[in-house]
Amino acid sequence: MADDAAAAVSVPERTSIPSGDDSVWADVSPLLESACKDLRDGELIHGDNFNLFAAMSALEIMDPKMDSGIVCKYYSIDEAIENGAAPVPISINKTVDVQCTIDIMDHLLACEATWHKGHSLAQTVFSCIYLLRPDRTSSHALLHSYCRVIRATCKAVISVVSDARTHEEDDLFTMAYGLPLDGDGDEKCLSLLNAVEETISRQLRACKAPSSRRRVLEDMEPLQTNLDLEEGYCKALLCRLRFRKHFYHALTSMRRPQGRGLELARKHIATCISELDCIYRSSDFLRSSACGTSEDGIENRTTASGCQPIGFDASLNCRLSAPTPPRAIKILSWKKLLLVQDGKLYGRDSMFTVITRAAVLPEVAKNHDVQKNEYFVQLGQLVINMLKILCTNAAWQRRKLGKMLQDWRVMYVQLELAFRKEFGEVSRIPEDENVCVKIFQHILLWVEEQTYWIASRFLILGFELELYSPSEYCMVYWYMYVVLIKLSEKTHLKMAAKNDMGKRKGKKKRDSAKDVAREYRIPPAVLFLQCQICLAEGLTMMLAALRNEHMILQSRNPFNTEQERFIQHFELLQKACIPDHVSFHSFRESTTYARLSTLVMYNYFKDAQRIAKEAKSSFSNDPDKLAELRKIEQVAEHNSIALNVISRVGALDPTLKASFEFSHHPYFATAVVKRS
Amino acid sequence: MERKNEEEETETGKSELDASQIEYVSYGGEHHLPLVMSLVDQELSEPYSIFTYRYFVYLWPQLSFLAFHNGKCVGTVVCKMGQHRNTFRGYIAMLVVIKPYRGKGIATELVTRSIKVMMESGCEEVTLEAEVTNKGALALYGRLGFIRAKRLFRYYLNGVDAFRLKLLFPCPDLYPSLPMIANKDESYSHNDHIPHEECCELHQHL
Repeated sequence: MADDAAAAVSVPERTSIPSGDDSVWADVSPLLESACKDLRDGELIHGDNFNLFAAMSALEIMDPKMDSGIVCKYYSIDEAIENGAAPVPISINKTVDVQCTIDIMDHLLACEATWHKGHSLAQTVFSCIYLLRPDRTSSHALLHSYCRVIRATCKAVISVVSDARTHEEDDLFTMAYGLPLDGDGDEKCLSLLNAVEETISRQLRACKAPSSRRRVLEDMEPLQTNLDLEEGYCKALLCRLRFRKHFYHALTSMRRPQGRGLELARKHIATCISELDCIYRSSDFLRSSACGTSEDGIENRTTASGCQPIGFDASLNCRLSAPTPPRAIKILSWKKLLLVQDGKLYGRDSMFTVITRAAVLPEVAKNHDVQKNEYFVQLGQLVINMLKILCTNAAWQRRKLGKMLQDWRVMYVQLELAFRKEFGEVSRIPEDENVCVKIFQHILLWVEEQTYWIASRFLILGFELELYSPSEYCMVYWYMYVVLIKLSEKTHLKMAAKNDMGKRKGKKKRDSAKDVAREYRIPPAVLFLQCQICLAEGLTMMLAALRNEHMILQSRNPFNTEQERFIQHFELLQKACIPDHVSFHSFRESTTYARLSTLVMYNYFKDAQRIAKEAKSSFSNDPDKLAELRKIEQVAEHNSIALNVISRVGALDPTLKASFEFSHHPYFATAVVKRS
Repeated sequence: MERKNEEEETETGKSELDASQIEYVSYGGEHHLPLVMSLVDQELSEPYSIFTYRYFVYLWPQLSFLAFHNGKCVGTVVCKMGQHRNTFRGYIAMLVVIKPYRGKGIATELVTRSIKVMMESGCEEVTLEAEVTNKGALALYGRLGFIRAKRLFRYYLNGVDAFRLKLLFPCPDLYPSLPMIANKDESYSHNDHIPHEECCELHQHL
């Protein structure tokens, strides 16, 4: 067999692949052919660690769907450069050079945004040949400084995301695969950028100065040769450079420990947003001064001018970056990118909202010895994990929140046991320990409240992710209803306990009628939950009534029943007993007797409207909460009307059908009544 | 592992073709393999090597079915089953019906046959992934009792999200009684059993 192999090998005369010092290329096609003839259809070579399952990973060489090594245009980056794919300078004509540089900047920004959305770095930002060979651009100050900042920014973003550990192992986002992210001297990118910015600022001042002064500034070489376009190009460049500078500053500020840089980061982000606005507004000028752009397809272009950028080739990296498949990806269009930015870093929820949520932790506990208790340490860790999870994309977030439920439940039980162990006999507690008891109770309530909050978020995210089919809405709203009831209960208790503690500090005040009244007024947060409860209950009953009166099509499945689907959807909640005593049968019992006529009489939607109205007065300083209350009111109003229409006319007109759409609220549906 | 289904079951199908004219055959051997491969290759964009097909049809031939019309293969389903963590479950890997034959319930019939074999073989559940944009597949599986258990962010290489669809078979003693957590109230009942009559009724439908 070995002899046969030697005979079959032939030394190639000429290949396009250069041989290295230790390697020689040999053509083995004849060998492979004879090997194929030896096996019949259906036969497979078995090895110790090679079976059918392993065989599935096989690639077919030269199959364009699988073989990412297939040469598209250039075999290597060097070949591309030799063929003029990324010239430096881009053009001898300075005006064209500037125009093209701006195009490269715009396209890189679009690539960066595409990367943030989840594509690989290799096929987005590093499809830029200029970035792949950092030293080539050193003679072109503008391009060079910009490339350095891009590399440094990408590196910083990867570090931040990695440190926060909010990504999954195979997340494309953080994989660099040997791409040149560590450019030599990239840390000095800002000083380079500042120098370039300074030069262009002076060029801008020079071109705007009246001709009399211009003689003084004559030693200032203009940016490019067409004086009419000088101002426009200078401005276009400046806003792009400044955006990059402030974005990088925002990143470095956010990386400062203990959250010290957050306020500064916020300011940088605000500047970024205003610079983005300038960038957007520069597009008219750039399009008009660009040569040969048609109006067609302008929406999908990745540059402000509408011209194709020079120096990009996504296929060059295929071989360098291990698992990137031979697939073209679509870079975000320029317009979409600018609308997407709006202050959300990494496309995820703002860090600030996430951190404010953490600040809800009871203040009192912070300085007490009780912190040293091991359970409190675990609780702290649980909270941090939850915050990290809240920073991730909705799909991942929901999965992780669901899994967390049991941890929170166990946490509660452990704390409760620890509490009983410490303070078994309430009557014999000395004055000092009384405070400890209060803290413990407060924390227990807080843990329960958080648990139900996570449960409600888990259910709500299902709507955003489109996990529920309309035939499942009834059971989902029912479960939301039972969870929200518990949540509002715990929230209310927690607030009452807080008030209690507040009163005990300081001198005892005589109970005035006003104090008593204030005590019994329902806190706004609870009111907010209550109107949601009414909506959830209303929707549950309406859907159930429609089904009971055969106005909604419910087909029977051949393989399972509604019970299996209930079990599947709420498995994680049931496992964690959130809430207790809740099952498919309690769902059935609650909904079997729902009838439209009863619902009209006892109208949950009207309740929701009433409570929402009351709640609005307490939230006058909170525009977000007000907006949401208005949405709730709209859903309630529309559903109330729909309910009336169906109950009056439905029985007489069988063509009347109700469908449920999310037209006013992201997760509370509005009933739409139509004739089919 | 990913699976792709580009089946579109529209409500308005051409009624020239009678459902009884379709012949359904269980995977019979090597002679069926090229038919399965060419159908899948032609309709789906994911690249599969021949080994992928062999893996499924060699190890679980009883789970793959082909649909013929006048001797021509017009549709196929390829599946597997096995122990996954602590459940025994079926997995639908590929489902294809060629365009002119869509909308006639062929895909539903292919999948139904496969699921029946899985159920009879002791599977507790069946699972698959489908693109969130594949309305036809989602409707088909929804009608069979599958729920969308999870959304998988950017599951497919082209960046599209996927749903993990799961069908849970009814079974009285499937769920372990509830936790380990000490609870004051002893008298809770969680996973209630299906009343016996309902269970029988289900089997009768099949």
